[in-house]
Amino acid sequence: MSRREALAGPNFSGRSAALLAMLRERAAPAFFVGPYAEAALSGLTSSVADELALYHGEPPQPRPPLAALDLAGLARRKPQSLSGGEQVLLALHCFAQSAYGAIAVDTALEQLDPANRVAALAFLDSGAFDVALIDNRIVPDAWERRDFAAGDGYRIDWPRLAQTVTAQDGKAITVTELDFAYAGGRQIFSKASVTLAPGTAHRLSGANGAGKTTFLKLLVGALAPDAGEVRLGGEPYRPWRDGNGAFALATQNPDQQWCGATLREDLARRRQALGTRARTLEDARMSKLANALSIESLDAHLYELPLAARKRVSWLWPLAGAHPWIMLDEPTLGQDRATREQFARLIEIVCARGYGVIFVTHDDEFAAMLPHRRLLIENRAISSPAQTAE
Amino acid sequence: MTPNGGVVLAAVLIVAAILAGPSGIVILAAAATVFATLEVGGASCLAALRRALLVMVPLAAFMLIVWVGVVGRAPQEIAAGAAGSRQAALVYVATVAGRLFLIVWVVQLVGLRFADQTVLGFVRMLHAPVAAKRLMVLTLSLVETLRHSVDRAHTALIAGGILTRGWSLRNLANGWILMQTIWLTAVTTVTARIRDKWPVEDTVALLDHALAGGRARLSPGDVGWIAAALAAGLAAQIVGWHVAA
Repeated sequence: MSRREALAGPNFSGRSAALLAMLRERAAPAFFVGPYAEAALSGLTSSVADELALYHGEPPQPRPPLAALDLAGLARRKPQSLSGGEQVLLALHCFAQSAYGAIAVDTALEQLDPANRVAALAFLDSGAFDVALIDNRIVPDAWERRDFAAGDGYRIDWPRLAQTVTAQDGKAITVTELDFAYAGGRQIFSKASVTLAPGTAHRLSGANGAGKTTFLKLLVGALAPDAGEVRLGGEPYRPWRDGNGAFALATQNPDQQWCGATLREDLARRRQALGTRARTLEDARMSKLANALSIESLDAHLYELPLAARKRVSWLWPLAGAHPWIMLDEPTLGQDRATREQFARLIEIVCARGYGVIFVTHDDEFAAMLPHRRLLIENRAISSPAQTAE
Repeated sequence: MTPNGGVVLAAVLIVAAILAGPSGIVILAAAATVFATLEVGGASCLAALRRALLVMVPLAAFMLIVWVGVVGRAPQEIAAGAAGSRQAALVYVATVAGRLFLIVWVVQLVGLRFADQTVLGFVRMLHAPVAAKRLMVLTLSLVETLRHSVDRAHTALIAGGILTRGWSLRNLANGWILMQTIWLTAVTTVTARIRDKWPVEDTVALLDHALAGGRARLSPGDVGWIAAALAAGLAAQIVGWHVAA
């Protein structure tokens, strides 16, 4: 039986550094699946087929099958164009057929939907290879456990953060018969309709690759629908043509949302784009928000912050009050339980102050912490299952 | 045709295009058209044409403004201290633009000829030392990283309200922010990769195994196309000398 070890502890306790140190000390190389694409995929290939070919080991290792990802339709896709969950599954597939004798996974399983997560954990639990795992949502019982004590850095001042959130007069969003397909023909939405009310948290759920992030990109105007209409407060809203003025987006990978190298630069550029609407976003208030998120200075270089801290800083712009709608793509990725609980409370406060919130998460535990309306993306449509306000 | 044949053919046509004058470029374009028609075919041929035009047209427009509109003389006339003419400047612009068009078109044609193969598969089949193939894959992966960075930075700036998806004055004013964000994204992506994943996995070493092998010989078809390209290149030179004389 091979060694299976879970590194448990809160954020900033040194788990990730310890994991990488363990890997560097090993005599033989090990496969590494980091929390985001840069550390999950090789970066050397431009198709899924090549990514698999690169890691293909000789002779093949006796490993249990991992059938969680249907690779048949993905062979020609660029690995970077897959959804976050699909990228993690691809990485696990690469390991499954590689010659590596060990794998380390740093919070990456948090990006998987429940079914894929169960399949991935079963694969890692097979005992056919060494595993080291960091996961904020589960520590498998039978595994060796290495506990890490809480560190001192990056404590969030939640009451201060809540005080800083201003009131909003949000408007309802109506999406009618939305069609969207990516170049190459992959149809994501077909006559999808949904109405989103302000003052409510909406949870977008669905399998990995169903189109959750695509829906957010359509609403901010990064993608244009093939057909259909979006209305904001009853008025036609076409951000893909006129620019985004209603939604503040915190992306799944925080590094995919920065508009500058430092927080000050990032905020200055966003404010400039807002014009007169940016009057309430003066530096003093933004500094207060940043301080509450434990960032001492707006001149902090974003890429020098630890990943979990960058994820938290990504909440700053949505909380700044510049937009009536807040979009959070896997907001609790890499966050420990205490942070997720507090963040759920904060979302409740934000909704109570009139904002509309759309969040994407596979974290059922987090979703259960706050009242919300669940929306399911399935079969190219958006539905609202009977369950609400869990 | 084999990947080896495709690479040699492209190299011959590119070198010939660099050496050719205006009339020689017409001959080489005719040779490339025959290759496109017989070996690449229909939709791929048009796609290659469209991409080559997309690269060439902006440069040609810019050069027309500068050399024909503003300067009014060809560079060789300036070097010779001659009075010069806009007509000569126009011929100069046409030659440079035609050369660029031909080079991009040929590269696209050869690429699309092997579109059914993956990049790794294509490079593996080349008859070259593994170190050279590894360098090729690393270079292509950097290009891929840049392309991904463009997409990522574009999305971030649209979501931030700094750019719009379509044409707009906002895009004109903030285009420089896109350029800066692309580079920042690319650098940080590569840094994260080479700091965490590659050292513990020894990922780059996997390329040696993945790229080993390759076909050593050119196929008869390759030899035919390369001979035709050499003949076209020679004809382009002879015509050039004839015109100069």
